[in-house]
Amino acid sequence: MDELDIFKEQWKKEEQHLPHLKFEEIYKMILKRSSSAVKWIFIISILELVFGLAVTAFWHPSFEQDLEIPPVAEWISWAVFPLGIYFIYRFFSNYRLINTTSSVNELLTNIMKARRTVRLWIIINLVIAGVGAMIMMLSALIDQKGGWDAFTAEASLTDYFIIFGLSAGLTLFIVTVTLAIYFLLYGLLMRRLNRNYKELKKMEL
Amino acid sequence: MTKLLKQPTLNVKKDLEHEFVQQLEANQNIVHKICRIYTNDKHGHNDLFQEITIQLWKAYPKFRGDAKFSTWMYRVALNTAITLYRKKKRRPDNTDIEAVAYRLQADAYDDAQEQQLKLIYEAIKQLNDIEKALVFLYLEDKNYAEISDTLGITEVNARVKMNRVKNKLRTILNP
Repeated sequence: MDELDIFKEQWKKEEQHLPHLKFEEIYKMILKRSSSAVKWIFIISILELVFGLAVTAFWHPSFEQDLEIPPVAEWISWAVFPLGIYFIYRFFSNYRLINTTSSVNELLTNIMKARRTVRLWIIINLVIAGVGAMIMMLSALIDQKGGWDAFTAEASLTDYFIIFGLSAGLTLFIVTVTLAIYFLLYGLLMRRLNRNYKELKKMEL
Repeated sequence: MTKLLKQPTLNVKKDLEHEFVQQLEANQNIVHKICRIYTNDKHGHNDLFQEITIQLWKAYPKFRGDAKFSTWMYRVALNTAITLYRKKKRRPDNTDIEAVAYRLQADAYDDAQEQQLKLIYEAIKQLNDIEKALVFLYLEDKNYAEISDTLGITEVNARVKMNRVKNKLRTILNP
């Protein structure tokens, strides 16, 4: 008989030391609001989904009248809307599967799935914003030199390198920093869930 | 007319609430034991009990009586403790006092065996959330089929993990 089996005997006797709540006390509890992690994940996810769309809707480059934007950048930015609707649909269909009567493994897996949808949406948004910014930056730089034709006529390999390298480098830097901050915040929220999810997955190996 | 229609629904809701609270009152030991394992002080215990109660109540309409109420409770309560429960931030001075009070309460009954009990409790507290769930279900006399069903892992994996957890507990208890 090992320690745990001895403990099992004790465990049963322990019942008499447990607190006992009265009917009214439990009744009061069912009227209170939940503060579960899933509820917070839901609220934050909705904010993230809306955020991506709101940025495009309110700060769309085409609203800046004096700014000439290349058509490619404009197409990409409008593509965010149908994509956003698709992601909202995917998030809700995943979220609906989150159910406390599932097994622990199933519940954690479904929470992770819903979160991954939102995470992918944020990454796509940042990449689109990054590519958009890069194209804008490039076109602004080239405009300064008197347009594409004038630029190509006299540009040396170093000029190309500087202009493209500068835009790409700067964009990459901003996107990476934003992503790092995002993952840090996201990691804090999901720390416990991630840990338990990993633990269960490890057991399946 | 509307009044007539509304009345029965209101009663049905009241009846359901009554039925649920009665069942939970009778089976509340399960929830208290989970709170004991997953929290460290009285505040935490109460918070987790509250959250489990809400989650049980939210899931109750889906409970069709196809399983025993208590069997169904294990799932929802453990799911809440492992995935849904968020520790609330409190002022540290408060928590400390509460923690001491809670420990004193536990100290109130001690002879040699109770001392052993306390040690094992402390050891279980050092396990991670999933391991705690395994130990809890084992202590509740659940067989491996039920344990694997609740956790959503295979029976073989549940057995393997259980042996590892037992060894881990042994190492903690006899360093």
